[in-house]
Amino acid sequence: MLQVSNLKAAYGKIEALHGISFQVNRGEIVTLIGANGAGKSTTLKALMRLRPPESPVVTGGDITVDGVSLLDMAAHRVVADIGMTLAPEGRRIFGNLTVMENLQLASWSRREQDTDKAIRHIFDLFPRLAERARQRSDTLSGGEQQMLAIGRALMTQCAILLLDEPSMGLAPLIMYDMFRTLKKLNAEAGLTLIIVEQNAHLALQVADRGYVLDTGQIVAEGPAQELLHRPEIKAAYLGG
Amino acid sequence: MEFFLQQCVNALQWGSFYALIALGYTLVYGVLRLINFAHGDVFMVGAYLAFFIATGFLAPEGAFGFSRELTLWLTIPLTMILTSLVGVTLERVAYRPLMRKGAHRLYVVITALMCGLILENGNLALLGASRRALPELLDKTVYQIGGVAVTNLKLWVIVAAVLVFCALHLIVTRTRMGMAMRAVSWDRFALPLMGIPLERVIVFTFVLGSAIAGLGGLLFAMSYPALDPYMGAMTGWKAFIAAVVGGIGEIRGAFVGGFLLAFVEIMVAAFLPSTFRDLFAFSTLLFILWLRPTGLFGRPLTSKI
Repeated sequence: MLQVSNLKAAYGKIEALHGISFQVNRGEIVTLIGANGAGKSTTLKALMRLRPPESPVVTGGDITVDGVSLLDMAAHRVVADIGMTLAPEGRRIFGNLTVMENLQLASWSRREQDTDKAIRHIFDLFPRLAERARQRSDTLSGGEQQMLAIGRALMTQCAILLLDEPSMGLAPLIMYDMFRTLKKLNAEAGLTLIIVEQNAHLALQVADRGYVLDTGQIVAEGPAQELLHRPEIKAAYLGG
Repeated sequence: MEFFLQQCVNALQWGSFYALIALGYTLVYGVLRLINFAHGDVFMVGAYLAFFIATGFLAPEGAFGFSRELTLWLTIPLTMILTSLVGVTLERVAYRPLMRKGAHRLYVVITALMCGLILENGNLALLGASRRALPELLDKTVYQIGGVAVTNLKLWVIVAAVLVFCALHLIVTRTRMGMAMRAVSWDRFALPLMGIPLERVIVFTFVLGSAIAGLGGLLFAMSYPALDPYMGAMTGWKAFIAAVVGGIGEIRGAFVGGFLLAFVEIMVAAFLPSTFRDLFAFSTLLFILWLRPTGLFGRPLTSKI
């Protein structure tokens, strides 16, 4: 479904991705792992067609979803028309809005107008958010903010959800809980997930397949279980 | 006492103009983190547009020859619409290309300053330096309330400023577009990820701010029928300072700041030699900023300009 072919991307004159290719099938969980600066976040931002200066400029290759190229699309169209969105690194929730407002705002481009029902669904998934619905969202704890970031992304009715470092700064229990919820969404609703993680061990346990990035290139790929047991990957990314 | 109350009414009217302009500054700043220094001149353009629309409709030998009442009711929306087009054009032609190229905000602010000068001098070149007067659109009625004389126009100006403020408050807090405006002011990176076209939110902000400035220009032209190309410069600067003192980015701040500045100005002019006016006004504002660097309603932010 999602096909990335020979993608090159740069920040100014500095090339950050040197022609990477990968593909993700509908209903799959795919993870991109790699060290700091390998180009994982850059890949996600390029996929979302976000603009500079925070995001790279695509200088070569192509990104297609079901054969449609995303290269000439603005980010909001990728969300509205393709049904793909990103829960960005650092969560980036709208702290000056309440939890409820964050969720309502994300329903901007929904075709189906039943926002209340969609919000109830999010509250079922993350009951903690329901308790805090009227609260300004910058008063939430880190874990709750991550739930809101995911809930907000789901409100766009996405079929493909990109997650950038979802486990960052979370307590282990909350982290496992969140991944369980994501896995459930994948199994029950067929949500396609692309997860970028520093915590490679965790990501590979959840994912079906994985790609390993190193300085802007894909250096290894395969089923997640197999990557977990490959000695060179164990040594480089999983801490021995 | 009566003299004081009379001055209060004058301050309310004068403050309404500052507030109407300051709201536009604060809206654009809130959404784009851009100080739109051309905004005072957009106010000037609004006054001139009102002049041309009103004289065009009124001219007895012209195509319309409308009554004064009808002219007023047509001039209000037309001035607001045309002025908002001017604001949107500035955004399209001057600011957006720079932002797209990822230029630092400082360059956009300088561009805004230049746009203001272009509007002033373009007007000067096109229409000459002669002052123009808006024809009277409203029969003057003077109400005596406990010895204080209030004209109907003064009342309308004050009512208009309050109504605009309330409407703006409702838009920003209750509508989805207002929610998006607040969201952009917090984090513009994440907005497109919600499927929201950022540029539409920005254009909407310029439409709102410029339309309000246009209304201010019309009311100003009705109150002080002496239009000149530089009328927006000083008034615009003062309104900008009023917005900063109120806490730029905060709608309440712009409103309160506008009235505060006018109050100080009018009272100094009333009780002291009028040459002291600006000195006192700005010293007061400096003192407020010294006490509260982010303004009366502002919250500290990591990056300004």
